Amino acid sequence: MRQVVVHPERCVGCMQCMAACAAAHSQSGFLAAAIRENPLPAPRVHVGSGRYGEGFPNRCRHCDPAPCMTACLPGAIYRDRILNTVLIDPSRCINCASCAMACPFGVIRYHRDPWVSPNRAVAVKCDNCVHRQTQGLIPACAEVCKSGALTFEEPEGAMKRRTDEMARRTAGYVEQERIGEEAPGFMLLRQLKKRAIQLTE
Amino acid sequence: MDQKRHSRKTITEDGRLMLAKSEQDGVETVWDRLEAQQPHCGYCELGLSCRICAMGPCRIDPFGEGPQQGVCGADADIIVARNLGRMIASGAASHSDHGRDLVEVLEAVARGASPGYAIGDEDKLRRVAAEYGVETEGREVLSVAGDLARAMQEDYGTRLSRLGLLSRVPEQRQALWDRLGITPRGIDRETSEMMHRTHMGVDNDWQNLLLQALRNALSDGWGGSMIATEVSDILFGTPQPVSSRINLGVIQEDQVNIAVHGHNPIVSETIMRACRDEDLLQKARDRGAAGINLVGLCCTGNELLMRHGIPMAGNHLMTELVLVTGAMEMMLVDYQCIMPSLGRIAPCYHTRMISTSDKAKFPGMEHREFHSDNAAELARELVEQAVDNFGKRNPDKVSIPSQPVDLVGGFSVESVLQALGGSLDPLLEAIKSGKIRGAAGVVGCNNPKIRHDLGHTVLTSRLIENDVLVLDTGCAAVANAKHGLERAEAAERAGPGLKEVCSSLGIPPVLHFGSCVDNVRILVLAAELAKALSQDISALPLAGAAPEWYSEKAVSIGAYCVASGIDTVLGPTPPVTGSMNVTGLLTQGLEDILGARFAVEPDPEEAARWMLSRIEGRRKGLGLDSRQV
Repeated sequence: MRQVVVHPERCVGCMQCMAACAAAHSQSGFLAAAIRENPLPAPRVHVGSGRYGEGFPNRCRHCDPAPCMTACLPGAIYRDRILNTVLIDPSRCINCASCAMACPFGVIRYHRDPWVSPNRAVAVKCDNCVHRQTQGLIPACAEVCKSGALTFEEPEGAMKRRTDEMARRTAGYVEQERIGEEAPGFMLLRQLKKRAIQLTE
Repeated sequence: MDQKRHSRKTITEDGRLMLAKSEQDGVETVWDRLEAQQPHCGYCELGLSCRICAMGPCRIDPFGEGPQQGVCGADADIIVARNLGRMIASGAASHSDHGRDLVEVLEAVARGASPGYAIGDEDKLRRVAAEYGVETEGREVLSVAGDLARAMQEDYGTRLSRLGLLSRVPEQRQALWDRLGITPRGIDRETSEMMHRTHMGVDNDWQNLLLQALRNALSDGWGGSMIATEVSDILFGTPQPVSSRINLGVIQEDQVNIAVHGHNPIVSETIMRACRDEDLLQKARDRGAAGINLVGLCCTGNELLMRHGIPMAGNHLMTELVLVTGAMEMMLVDYQCIMPSLGRIAPCYHTRMISTSDKAKFPGMEHREFHSDNAAELARELVEQAVDNFGKRNPDKVSIPSQPVDLVGGFSVESVLQALGGSLDPLLEAIKSGKIRGAAGVVGCNNPKIRHDLGHTVLTSRLIENDVLVLDTGCAAVANAKHGLERAEAAERAGPGLKEVCSSLGIPPVLHFGSCVDNVRILVLAAELAKALSQDISALPLAGAAPEWYSEKAVSIGAYCVASGIDTVLGPTPPVTGSMNVTGLLTQGLEDILGARFAVEPDPEEAARWMLSRIEGRRKGLGLDSRQV
């Protein structure tokens, strides 16, 4: 089954996945209209900034077993086995934050949400765009990511690529060169940013 | 299936057929690249990304969770206003630099240093010179030309407090601009100041930034573009109604085909003369061709069509597909709107691509630079090479679609006045009596985000059906002509009042007013109508539209139209919606200070309704009969 796979080395930090996620979980479904809605839709994926300003799209891993599910006393968190997705039932959520405390990745937020609970703050997190997938669309974050940091694919395929990359690297092919070949401008930018930040340290 | 897929991209038959061929030939087009770019960056579409300085780049999170200010502290209003100001600066600079090139040729002609060029309309030279205060009585034509060129060069400088051609603007409007502090002082000055003000740490009042953006746009409309049009008329002749034909069907299978693409007539006029050279025609016949067929694309094509009836192959989105016919021996380009993809498509066929301007080089093109001293000679040399290339054409790759459509082009303020018997009174009477409800300018580009030519043709059709006379330019004019709206017979498609007026004058209900710098012809006509009624332009039943715009030049055009008092509706949304303050000012607030405003409406049916309601509202304001829309 295809899943969203994160490739952090390719993230350019444009935060487009955030905007697309919020728009996908808005009433209108369109960015231009979504930003005028009340409550404002919020992203379920969050781009963080690494030590040297690298972007990182932080997203629910849909763990199994999921610590959030174990921590949820009212039993609001459950797993959709078909899409292998951890979901939250907003009608059962008591907004106690236990799940967020249990989450090792900090991906659960609390707010009113036009999609699941417009009138009351509840726990909100990535739902793998179940509504889009049932329409034959892929999750909004992966669709919008132009740098390949978020892909929607069979995990086996992604793992195979990783294995091949490791094999090449052990054959003297360093990762720096690989990324430099794929996106020299981006690599140059990263190097220059890193040096600038190192100069401040 | 393919037919349907291509129909979603364009309403034109020649476009659909060439899209199908481009797929067979493995040629990637603008539509493929648009698809590959999807989805576009939301920050950029909202105008919320700022690349102005190296503390950034910055973006404002439109959802309010992330950053709300750039590193410098600029908020969404400032960032959106700065970005819009810079779009207008680029658009104004493009038109104005085009104008400057013409003034330089005029100055060289006056010095006798420009063998390929001459004064084409001495009357117009003397008229315009008089407007600039140049003494014309009993003087040699070339010395008048030299003085006029230098006076125009002053308009580009910083020594004046107002542009020379502002004398054409109704007094009320000039006084309004003075009050608002948006009277343009110098053509380059306003662009330069716009760039200065949008530098980090200069103008950070979004309203003040937008006022300068309007002044910058006015320095284009009543400055750079107006000079471009007037000097083109002086050098190459003022357009008079002329018949021509349009669409890819104008390409001739048995002839040497040469296309000119870009904007300035400086290069295309010399190419045209070389294509009529008897020695070169004989050479073409010797090579087995029936002749040399010059066709136009985009605005330089419009310039040739307006003055000489040179047939037009297509507008912006057809510039790649014209190569896909496989029958083009050579395409010569100057500048603006020339997709760098062309140099990659041409090698799929035998077409030779030639870039001609020192300021516009392209990958995959041969660069042969035109200057006023070598133009005639170089044009002959290149046309000869095109003739030589005829033999390299691969007949298996040739497919020329569609039958061309007839049109009448060549309308100018001068030729309209002539058609009306020397005075605007018949037009004013037709408007007052309500036979003609008003006039609309339909202008601007193509944009693959809008189904090709649909915006222009639907909007224009609705306007003429409702007795609104349409003046069109640029890619809009090409779209309407392909749709058969610029033939005298198109009066049948107009409402009863407009039909009656057009039939009696023998003119189409849609008047081809030229290239995109020629939008100033519409401004001049609007100003003349206003002066005849002792009104400001904003009181007249006029409206403008750019249903398929894509370029920064179009933003400048829209802004100078609105600042001149003409309501303007845009098809594609400009990148301003990240700031509701800026959006509100453009679409509502401007009305209070300028008497005109912008609207954004991608649906041409709705856009037509908006324009009609604005026109009827203005009729009411003038005390004329007014219809419910």
